[in-house]
Amino acid sequence: MSEELSSLFLSYYSDLSNNEFSQVNLERIFGGASRETYRVKIKDSSDNEESLILRLSQDSSLIETEQKTEYLAYSAFQKSRVPVPILIDMSEDDSQLGAPFMLMEELEGEAASPFTPNVYSPYEEDIGNQFWSILGQIAKKEIDSNIFEDFSKGSKKPFWECELDKWVKVIHEDSIGVEPILESGIRHLYRNPPIENKRVSMVHGDYRSGNFLYSKNKITGILDWEMAHLGDPLEDLGWALSPIWSWQDKERPAYLLMREEAIKLWEKTSEIKIDRNDLKWWELFAAVKGMAIWISAGNEFKSGKNIDPINLFSAWIPGDIHLEVILDILESNI
Amino acid sequence: MKPDINIALLNAAQEIINRFSPLIDDEYERSRLGSWGALILISAMKFNEAGSALQKENLEIIDWLLASSRLDEKDVNPYRTIEDTCKSLEELDQDNQALRVLLNKEVEHLEKKGDGILLKSVFSLFRSMHQRRKVSELIGLLQQAES
Repeated sequence: MSEELSSLFLSYYSDLSNNEFSQVNLERIFGGASRETYRVKIKDSSDNEESLILRLSQDSSLIETEQKTEYLAYSAFQKSRVPVPILIDMSEDDSQLGAPFMLMEELEGEAASPFTPNVYSPYEEDIGNQFWSILGQIAKKEIDSNIFEDFSKGSKKPFWECELDKWVKVIHEDSIGVEPILESGIRHLYRNPPIENKRVSMVHGDYRSGNFLYSKNKITGILDWEMAHLGDPLEDLGWALSPIWSWQDKERPAYLLMREEAIKLWEKTSEIKIDRNDLKWWELFAAVKGMAIWISAGNEFKSGKNIDPINLFSAWIPGDIHLEVILDILESNI
Repeated sequence: MKPDINIALLNAAQEIINRFSPLIDDEYERSRLGSWGALILISAMKFNEAGSALQKENLEIIDWLLASSRLDEKDVNPYRTIEDTCKSLEELDQDNQALRVLLNKEVEHLEKKGDGILLKSVFSLFRSMHQRRKVSELIGLLQQAES
């Protein structure tokens, strides 16, 4: 696969850039469950090297999303206060590289595992300030009308209901059995809806520790926008605050700043005053959405469609943690 | 006496993580093999207790349903394990699925009624079920193995 892809890429990129490239090295990056991601080093005849990132759709992926979604989301934040890679190209068909893909420039920096404590030490404060401020900027950003139009689905239902319906459908289609804790959580969400936020924002959909690049004390890029959509800005905040991303230090979300400090920073940057009851709803929603993703991963693994160990890991560890989060939230409501 | 299956898995995991994975140059393949090692390690830790844990969970659900729900003996008896019979893991799992469906329906009924006392008791059952099943407490062990 890799040799064939290299040869296809060489020919495709030479045509795209109108330059004769002769050497390419594709190195697959471990961890992405929804796309096959490759680090590409490509050289022309004068030995000039370019560093690129190629994201290919998979036959079977954890979350079925279109390349166009991610491309449009990145487009919305080019040259903004939200650092994102520079886009080069996108294709929704498989005629060029055998699968739909997106190509962008490689950014400096590394991504950490969201499950490793103190991974940003000694720069937790600097990175934390940027992490929560950037999320506030995403919530605050006015979306270009063309991009807004592309993302609009024309549903008359409130955003919370569209999102909840979507993930509950995944749970009920992919579950291996009935999980009473999760079902109780779903019923609670439908019975106690949040007040719809007046602000419609671009929601990243997976804004969390591990989905950004950093170099020492600086965040260099926000990645993995494949679940982006229009919606309530509290959705991203609830997801980013989820205790799953700081399981061994729950009061310090994403192993960065203390929870209250993070919330205040987000409020200041987004210029949105949070209704604490609504935030609680979105935090429970985050755990239910997480369960949908982990259940879907378990189903992919069990059916043999995709036996990448990350699918088994997702079903076991994050699945357990989010179930416990649901239990904690529901119990605190009795 | 032969070594237990969980001991075999434990050793396989250690070999994968410490011996074979570092030999692979390709970063993606190395990480993938390392993840397999970690998952086999979890399997080894949970292997021996899988059957008895399911049996205990089924019994706990039956006890709660009889004490706190609208159901009676005839509803739950098919899912009981009689003392001198031995059910396979698959049979225990099937019983468990059926009991979870019954439990879910009864909890929904309590939620509609708003019965706080019984809801508290079911959350205590949920906690116990989750505590017995979860493998997330092994996350520290995984990190140790990977480092």
